[in-house]
Amino acid sequence: MSQLAEFIQDKRQAKPILSMTHVVYGYPTRQQSLAWISRLLSEGVDFVEVQFPFSDPVADGPSIVAACHKALEQDLNVEDFLTDMGVLTRDFPNSRIVLMSYLNPMYRYGLDKLAKRAAEINMPGLIIPDLPIELSADYITACEANHIDPIWLVTPVTPKTRLEMLASKASGFLYCVARSGVTGHSNHEGKGSTNSVDDYLAQIKAHANAPIGVGFGLRERRQIEALIGKADIAILGSALLDAYNQGGEEAGLKLLRSLFPTQ
Amino acid sequence: MQSENGFYGEYGGSYIPEILHASQQQILKAYEDAKNDPEFLAELHKQWQQYSGRPTPLTYCANLTEHFGGAQIYLKREDLNHSGAHKMNNVIGQGLLVKRMGKKRVIAETGAGQHGIATALVAARLGLECTIYMGAKDVERQYPNVFWMRQLGATVVPVETGSQTLRDALDEALRDWSSSHEESHYLIGTACGCAPFPEMVAFFQSVIGDEVREQSINQFGQFPDRLYACVGGGSNACGLFLPFLEDEKVAMVGVEAGGRGIKLGDHSVRLSHDLGSKGIAQGFATKFIQDDAGQLQDTHSIAAGLDYVGVSPIIAHLADTGRIEMTYAMDDDVVEACTLLLKKEGIIPALESSHALAGAFKDAPNLPKDSHIVINLSGRGDKDIFNVAKAVEDETFPQFLSSYLATYHADMEKKA
Repeated sequence: MSQLAEFIQDKRQAKPILSMTHVVYGYPTRQQSLAWISRLLSEGVDFVEVQFPFSDPVADGPSIVAACHKALEQDLNVEDFLTDMGVLTRDFPNSRIVLMSYLNPMYRYGLDKLAKRAAEINMPGLIIPDLPIELSADYITACEANHIDPIWLVTPVTPKTRLEMLASKASGFLYCVARSGVTGHSNHEGKGSTNSVDDYLAQIKAHANAPIGVGFGLRERRQIEALIGKADIAILGSALLDAYNQGGEEAGLKLLRSLFPTQ
Repeated sequence: MQSENGFYGEYGGSYIPEILHASQQQILKAYEDAKNDPEFLAELHKQWQQYSGRPTPLTYCANLTEHFGGAQIYLKREDLNHSGAHKMNNVIGQGLLVKRMGKKRVIAETGAGQHGIATALVAARLGLECTIYMGAKDVERQYPNVFWMRQLGATVVPVETGSQTLRDALDEALRDWSSSHEESHYLIGTACGCAPFPEMVAFFQSVIGDEVREQSINQFGQFPDRLYACVGGGSNACGLFLPFLEDEKVAMVGVEAGGRGIKLGDHSVRLSHDLGSKGIAQGFATKFIQDDAGQLQDTHSIAAGLDYVGVSPIIAHLADTGRIEMTYAMDDDVVEACTLLLKKEGIIPALESSHALAGAFKDAPNLPKDSHIVINLSGRGDKDIFNVAKAVEDETFPQFLSSYLATYHADMEKKA
């Protein structure tokens, strides 16, 4: 079993659902983003999904797009990012950091080197939403060689046979997008799936060997409660960023505590 | 040009978020079916002819030819399409495909506004809902086009993020498509994006080169020696060049926007002089203007339709293999070429197409008198009236604007 899946399984012994919070590296500044990640890890979140910003984040909504563009007013590079993450993974061994980024910055850095460095700093999972599994042979080989997991996404409109294929190939965990559209609140908020989220998750579970994470549009405690027993990780992205933008770390923590009261 | 699983050499592919997978597969299939369906092709040719006025002429330029004293100069008159640019060829094709797929809404990105206008026209004709994404800077530069799109019933959304130009409009169109793919078609305007868009757009645009093959034989008894086209996204270049790909004696020259100079942020040169580098973004692999960390960078051109940060994977591949020669033209040379065509031939070219003119005019004097060159005049210049007025420092234009505004406000007050 992968390190990541094992970590999730162990943690799940004590908790009905695990928390994953999202932070944009470099937003509003590099130092402030590192301080915010530390604060979340001190609070006991199980995962932080750290997004390395890209100029053209096509799967993200306005909150995260604006944060990425703000972050890129500084010169950020992948090497410094990995070094910074390495410090955090060392200081907080009871949680895990996973990387989310678009393909181009990672491609320019080198996917082989990325997988190797991720393993060295104990960052066990990589999420690259615009790298589809069909074009990932080299990337998968690099991840396997370094014992880290490429995290695949599935959506409510993923055709059945493809959903089964992705579920069966999942390692680490499978990232289930709860609805169509981009992250967070926007003009491009898609309809929910035609089937209920329950049916969708049940179908995934029937084929997935890996744990299940659910994200996109989670803002309220009742949504998290509804996932208990059906998913392993609830992913809090834009809602946390919106709270942080409105009232800084305190507002962010308030939202986090209301969503995950037993943290 | 047929791709290999969506790839042209090392460029192209389908690097899209999972949410778009099913829609992309649907378009792939619909396009494969349609291009092999004689009924679809017959309807396509009928619409090209009856709605857009094809075939467009191949115009001999006697005065320009004499002026340069070299090659015989011909223009392929895509400016005479309905909507005033080659963009219409592709929009008519994809519009018919949308009907075939039974979708009710189209989304499009636009730079200069020519693709936006063409999309709004066809959407009105086919009874489709239409949303156009346009960089806020382009909205400012090309307001006359925005005005007409809105009059045609399209919703025009100015995109305020990033560089506020074509690439941001494309990002935003992709985001819309991510949420609306079930009822909407993303009607991409250039030979870029994920498969099958580069191949499909090039297919619909190839009518340009197909016509030139016939016209050149009829008018001067041989294929042209050299072809010239401006290269923004690359659709008009694909359209003129690809039908001649196997005719090795036909040389092809793509002209990029040199802008104000080769400093980053001042140009849109991706292929010539190695100013771009390979990247994977916006759904496909190509040469992008980017920094070492892989962040896409700001671009500039006097022509809003040429300042795209990437380029068609088909053109990138053919430039790599040496089949297409790439060069660039500076803003100043472009205005000069535009003015020369006005004065010598009585044709008003778009600033985009004036890049192709500038590239060709540089070579023309040095080419043999019995050689023939064809320049793709991809669009007409009416839309550029404000920018050209400024570039030629016309003194009467600001006066006209002030008096127009004064009368406009006075008439509005009377009405109220």
